Amino acid sequence: MNEQELIQQLRQGNEPAFRWLVENYRNRVFHTVLNILQDTNEAEDAAQETFIQVFESISSFKAESKLSTWIYRIAVHKALDKIRRRKTRQQLHKFLPWWMPEEKKSNEAMFQHPGIVTENKEKAAVLFKAIESLPEKQKLAFSLIKVQGMNYEEACEIMQQNIKAVESLISRAKMNLQKKLEDYYKTNK
Amino acid sequence: MSKMQKKSTPLVDEHLQNLQGMQEANTDDFFYTRLKARMLAKQSIGVNNKLEPGWNFPLKPVWIVGTLLLLLAMNGFILTQQPDKEKTNSTASASPLQKFAQSYDQSISSY
Repeated sequence: MNEQELIQQLRQGNEPAFRWLVENYRNRVFHTVLNILQDTNEAEDAAQETFIQVFESISSFKAESKLSTWIYRIAVHKALDKIRRRKTRQQLHKFLPWWMPEEKKSNEAMFQHPGIVTENKEKAAVLFKAIESLPEKQKLAFSLIKVQGMNYEEACEIMQQNIKAVESLISRAKMNLQKKLEDYYKTNK
Repeated sequence: MSKMQKKSTPLVDEHLQNLQGMQEANTDDFFYTRLKARMLAKQSIGVNNKLEPGWNFPLKPVWIVGTLLLLLAMNGFILTQQPDKEKTNSTASASPLQKFAQSYDQSISSY
């Protein structure tokens, strides 16, 4: 089935076509949102929300970009939306710590990526913790390109930014991460 | 290339090497089943909401806190207004003769 046929069938509400799409993209979408969110449950939730939105808004897809890029773009928006909500919860937790006690645990936890081999897990967790504290756009660019290994062109299309802007985001992210990692190893000697 | 990119970031590069060979994180085989259940639930909620729109009251923490803050602000405003009334009351009670005179409109001497 080519992409045009798939889009056509999705627009007609064809369930087998939707299932085929989900089965083909679920791991890629989950992997992308997991790298951004660093939380398995939230990543599953964001992946589900992505496919629900794909199903609901396929009729508005203009095919100006590849279907995969459009899906990734939705996934990234869902992940960023979850990060914003998480930040709101964390700020609320500062003022009302008794309200959401589980929030404290999630702030302190180090993310262990399931796809990383055991001997690299510790350093990877330190890096992920540092990435988490980056500004939103830097975090997104770094996660897509440096962590996930996506090429610049695709990342630019997903982020709807030009290549210079994305390069700049990556270099600023690297500088910030260098500082954060230096600070981490100074305090944890 | 900008000047910033030329700066070395050895710690970052070292940590990034630990991500090499990272495998794609996978969902389990029941992902589609859960997704479909969620979509059906969403659909049924949508149908119920159409039937009973009164149940759409926002119960998000932000609304709850917002409402509480608004109530507190109104409370505070009322409390700050209270002493003024008491002051006027107290001045009135300080001079019962004047109050009596005011109530019978006898404060102005016509003689």
